[in-house]
This record gives sequence, C-alpha cells and structure tokens, in this order.
Amino acid sequence: MADSYMGKFLLVDLTNETSRTVPTPQWLKDQFVGGKGFGAKLLYDLVPKGVDALSPENVLMFFPGPLTATAAPSMRACAVTKSPLTGTYLDSFFGGRLGPEIKYAGYDGIIIFGKAPKPVYLWINDDQVEIRPAGTIWGTNALEANALIKEEINEPDAMLAAIGQAGENQALFALICCEYNRQAGRGGAGAVMGSKNLKAVAIKGSRLVKVHDPEAFDKACKGACEEIALSAECATYTDGGTSSAVPWSNEIGTLPYKNYYTQSDPQADKIGDEGQKKHLFLGKAACFGCPIRCSQMGAVRTGKYSHFITDIVEYESAALLGSNLDIHDPRAVAHLTKLCDEYGLDSMSAGGVIGFAFEAAERGVIQAPDGVVLAFGNVQGAEYLIKSMAFQEDDLGRLLSQGVKRASAVLGKQTMDYAMHVKGLECPAWGPRGTPGMGLAYMTADRGGCHQRGFMIGYDMGDEYNGEPVEMYQTKGRAGILIELQNFLAGTDALVKCDFSQCGVSPESFAAMLSAATGRQVDEDYFDLLGERIWNQTRMFNVREGFLAKDDTLPRRFVKQVLPDGPHKGHRVSEADMDYMRRDYYNIRGWDEEGRPENVTLQRLGLDKAPVFKERP
Amino acid sequence: MAKTFFIKTNFDLCTGCSLCQLACSQRLLGGYNPHRALLRITHKAENLYHFPTVCNQCENAYCANVCPAKAISRDPETRALVVDRDKCIGCNMCRKYCPIEMVGVDPDLKKSVKCDLCGGDPACVAACPTGALELAYRVVPDEEEEEPNG
Repeated sequence: MADSYMGKFLLVDLTNETSRTVPTPQWLKDQFVGGKGFGAKLLYDLVPKGVDALSPENVLMFFPGPLTATAAPSMRACAVTKSPLTGTYLDSFFGGRLGPEIKYAGYDGIIIFGKAPKPVYLWINDDQVEIRPAGTIWGTNALEANALIKEEINEPDAMLAAIGQAGENQALFALICCEYNRQAGRGGAGAVMGSKNLKAVAIKGSRLVKVHDPEAFDKACKGACEEIALSAECATYTDGGTSSAVPWSNEIGTLPYKNYYTQSDPQADKIGDEGQKKHLFLGKAACFGCPIRCSQMGAVRTGKYSHFITDIVEYESAALLGSNLDIHDPRAVAHLTKLCDEYGLDSMSAGGVIGFAFEAAERGVIQAPDGVVLAFGNVQGAEYLIKSMAFQEDDLGRLLSQGVKRASAVLGKQTMDYAMHVKGLECPAWGPRGTPGMGLAYMTADRGGCHQRGFMIGYDMGDEYNGEPVEMYQTKGRAGILIELQNFLAGTDALVKCDFSQCGVSPESFAAMLSAATGRQVDEDYFDLLGERIWNQTRMFNVREGFLAKDDTLPRRFVKQVLPDGPHKGHRVSEADMDYMRRDYYNIRGWDEEGRPENVTLQRLGLDKAPVFKERP
Repeated sequence: MAKTFFIKTNFDLCTGCSLCQLACSQRLLGGYNPHRALLRITHKAENLYHFPTVCNQCENAYCANVCPAKAISRDPETRALVVDRDKCIGCNMCRKYCPIEMVGVDPDLKKSVKCDLCGGDPACVAACPTGALELAYRVVPDEEEEEPNG
C-alpha cells in the first residue's frame, strides 16, 4: 500500500567516497515520524558522546517529512547535526524547494558521514550519486557556487544546499544556503559541512510521491488551505512577511536596541514593514507548495548599496542587524543581510556578535583596526566584521567568528555582562525582560537561545490561554504553557511544518493530512505525545553531552540589569525567577533537579527501550 | 465562430509555489512531482520572477501536425488538443517540434502526455492561490479553422 515515505535513506561516506541506501526502519517511522523526529533519534544513535562537532565523526543529515513534497501546504525540511557553536543537538529548518527534491530523488533522508580528502560536492540525480571534486568552486560564495554547480552538471532545475566562504572556513555560526533566500541558518550546520570538505549537495529527482488515500488527502489539504486563507495571522505574513513584527515588537517593548541595552528603539518603524515596502518590496514569492507567499521579493534600487536583489529582511535580521546595531536604513540592513547570506553566516548570530563587538569596542575592550569604526550606527564597521569573520582575515574576525560565548571568554570576565547567548547560541530578537515565559523558552530550547521552539510573547503580554487570561510578569504557570507549545511544535516539526502556516492550520488538519498520507490513523492529540518524545530524545543527547541545570540559564544582562526605559522599565528575569521557572519546568517535564529525564518519563514515552539505528555506510 | 479554451498565465501574479504542478502531476500520474507536471515554472533572478508556461492549445499546432500516428486531435467541447493514448506510438516527435516543450512522452506511461484542460475544469487553475493561471478562450473564425494534420 502506498504511503508518502520513499522507503530509504541515502548514506554517504565522504572519507571513502562511497554511498549506499538502507531501508527507512518501520519502528523509526512509527515512533519518530520524520524531520525533527528522525533527526533527534539518529543524532543520538550515530554521534557518540563527546565527539568534536567539526570532526569526521559528526554526521550531517537532511530530513524532509512525510508530508513534504505533497500538496500539504507549506511543508519544509531540516538539517540536523551536532552544533559546533553550542555542542548541543542542532536542527535548522528551511523552506523553499530543496526539501521536496530529496523525496523526488527517492529518499526519506540523506545522512553524510566522514570527511572528503579534498573539497567536493555531492550530485544526487535519483539513484545516481556522484561525489565530484569542487575544484575552483571552493572559495566562491553560496550564490556563485549555486550557479557554477548548476552549470557544471547542466541541470538548471537541480536544487542546492551550499556553503559560502564562512562555512569553508568553519566560522562557528556558518549556515547552509538552501536556495534561494532560504537558509538552514542557526547553530553552525554550514561549519560542519565545511569541516567535511563538502561545498554543496545538488539534488534532482523524478520519482512520484504517493499518498495512502488520495481522495481523503486532497480533502484534508483543501481544508488546511482554507484555514490558512481564513487566518488573520497568515494574512499578515502574506502582506508583509515578518517585517510588521518590527513595529509590533517595539511597541510591546521586546525589540533589542544596542546589544539589548534596552528593548525599545525610537526609529524602529524605518526598518519595519513601512520602510521595507517603500525601499525594497516588489512582489511575492512562495516556498514550495505554500499559499501564504510570505517572501516579499525586491531589490535595493537607490542609495549607496544599489543594485542587488533581496528577499524581505525578516524580523530577526531586521532587528539584530538593524535596531540592535542602531542601523535604520532598510537598504543598509538588507545589504548586511545579503552579505551574510552570500558568505554564508547566520544573520541572527552575526547581528548578536556585531552588537557585542560594538559594545566591547565602545568600552575599550577591543581595538578597531586602522580605518575601521566599530560603533553603534556604523554600517561600514558591521560590514567589515561580517567579511573578516567569513574570510577569517584577522585575529578579530577569527575570534568573533567563534560566537559571543567564546569571544567573551577570551576577552575577559567583564564582557560576560553583555555576551548575549544561551548555551553559546546568540539570542533571538525578543528581549525577555518583561516577558519571563520567553526567557524560559530560551533557557530550555534544545539548540540554545531560540525563539522557535515555543513562542511565549503573546501569553507573556496577557493573551488568553485555555480561556484564561495570562497575568503579565508572573513566572507561575509559564512552564506549563511553554511545555505544551514545545511539545506540539516538536511534534509538527516531524512533518516538517512551517512555523507560519502553523498559525492557520489546525491540529485536526495536520492529523487528517498525516493519516491520509501514511495510512496511520492519528488524531489531533497525536503531535503532543510525539513532540514530548522528540523533546526528551533531544534532551537525552544534550544531557549526555553534559548540559544540565547550570546551562539552562539566561545571559547576565537579562538577569542583572533592569530595563532602563520602555514599556517594561525596571523589569528583568531575576535569578529567583529563573530558579522558580526551571524547577517548575523540570517538574512538569518529569526531569530530575538537574534536568535529566527520569526513568519513568523515558518509559512512558517508549524511549527506554527504543531500538538503535546501527546502519553505517 | 468557435471558442478555443486555453490557460492564460499572469507571470506578475505567480509566486512559484508549484501548487498547480502538484495538482497536475497528481491528476495525471497519481503522485506528486512538479517535474512530471504538464506545466512548467521557470524561477529567475534568485526567485524575483516566476514564469509559468502552459500549453497554448495552438491554432496551428506543430505537435499535432508532426504526429505520425495522428494521435493528437481537438476536444470537441474545449478545442483543447488531446492525445489519444491508444494511437500514440511514443515516438516523442511532438516534443521535438513543440516550441515550448509542453508535450512529450512520460517515462512511466511511455505515451505522450500534454495538457487537456482536464476536460474544461483545469486542476492547476483551481489550485492556484493567486490568479496567476486563469481559464480563457479565444474566438476562432470558422474560415480559419483547420483540422490538425489536415
């Protein structure tokens, strides 16, 4: 009977330049479904404790989900590896058309082992898998590499995952460019790719993806599309992507300004939807199979940075390379974001690192090179740092390319007061002083400082939860809400859903689509338990790596320094707040006081006796 | 006077989402793959532009003109050019001479496949969320009507 899986994984051994396929285990599909679920389980099984993330022993994996490549709206895929930036489990999600192509080539996942003796790229055309010398393509930026490889394989329709110079040079927050304008951005998956001497993965496939019950599936997809069409939140994304979050975040006092010194920026509107509509946007583009079309494609046509094509500057990039650096020309922020994309640096971490460097320079801790000004508001200074981090041009670039945690450790204890990271991952652009639930989300996210594993801001600002208004500034009850969000999102990240379509598509529709696609009948509660299993599996990885309660914490600035102004003036997330929320969280999760899942929890989730994936190339 | 129906493309509204191609491949082959659909989207300039290409349902149809088996003829209702799979010999001559490569032999079916407007209610048009595809017709004067292979 048809189901929407392709039935096999592709295992690639770069060290010996070989590959083979293995069947996708039934137990893995039953217990972990796909996407993040596969990644959580296989990283635990394939990467032993203590492996250097940049060594050949780490694996780099790409997983679509059971609904990816079908007409189910807005499905994505993920890259999973051990993060060189944090040392934790890492997944990084990307939309576009690369994820579906993995399935069209016939695979439920691509698992890359080892390290090529010389720079190579991988060309997967259905069953034909070639490891080709990268030659002079090594050294090019992500978009140049994309064009050169398509030309070399003579396949304009192939889809590419590629790294830029930052990935080649193993800058620890290097990304994987999943063309175009879609990035496996956070946590340094691009550095892992660079450490393997792997410039790109090109992929094209002619296989059909079939579903178990086409009629029921069509009905379920139409229902999901209708929900998206009726969703006010999805309509906001259609209108202006995430750019309208800039003025909103400023209004509610969560927008980082000058390396999070405060959380409100008097000039925020210039880089939000208003400014971007005026200076950048021309038309809309969609990821594969997505009716929302949140991409606002455009170009910088005027000013000193013209001319180049740019996607929308998403909220996180706008806030972290804009407000956070006191830069307010949307064309300049688009320019900095594009540089990050081309060289292959995570624009979020880049914004965090540059903010840290600007503050350190203003405090006299670091010295700007001759002719360079490192100060808030200085676009050239930011541009200089992006280049020097990507190309490892000087000691400062090399130091900062390791992220704020390592840079701060080298520069001295006093810089820890403004090194804005959790577990080494630079913070997202939602300052949590005033929104403690969001703080707890950062403390407990599996890959370090991340806003996408449970977005608490709305509840922190007084939205209703289960029909009850949530009280602002309270720590009580936050853990319970967050855990429900984390579980549901982790469960649907096994599909792999998009965070934006998820605002419209109901759990019932996700369940109906999955049931019709696979023939496994599930209901709307299914994703909660699945997500809880996945969340505990990633926690098992992190605990094995030594991450415990001491690491589930916030950067010192959020804890020690009260906000000097804005709607939450006088607020912070104190040690006592963190302590209370952490205990509450562990308690509800069924984890011990150090954050280790209790045996009874693992038993309940079937993680105590789960089979082990033993296949190697 | 007769009406030839065809799908009009509005590239300015196309977002490149491929929902049209998913609907098409599912109807044609019972599975999803945009590369196997009967319409194409060309993504240009880092996704700044998306050009959908569909069968023109030509008045002077080279695909039908060159078919040695006379397997391509007009649907009496829509005047769309449709392939008679019983007659098709899979020679792929139609693809060789179609200027926009909108017809050709499917690797699984071993027969030539092309857009038949789904009998008058195209699945791609129904799936398009933006109006980038719409069903249109042109009026063909009787005297200009020529039978393919005539």
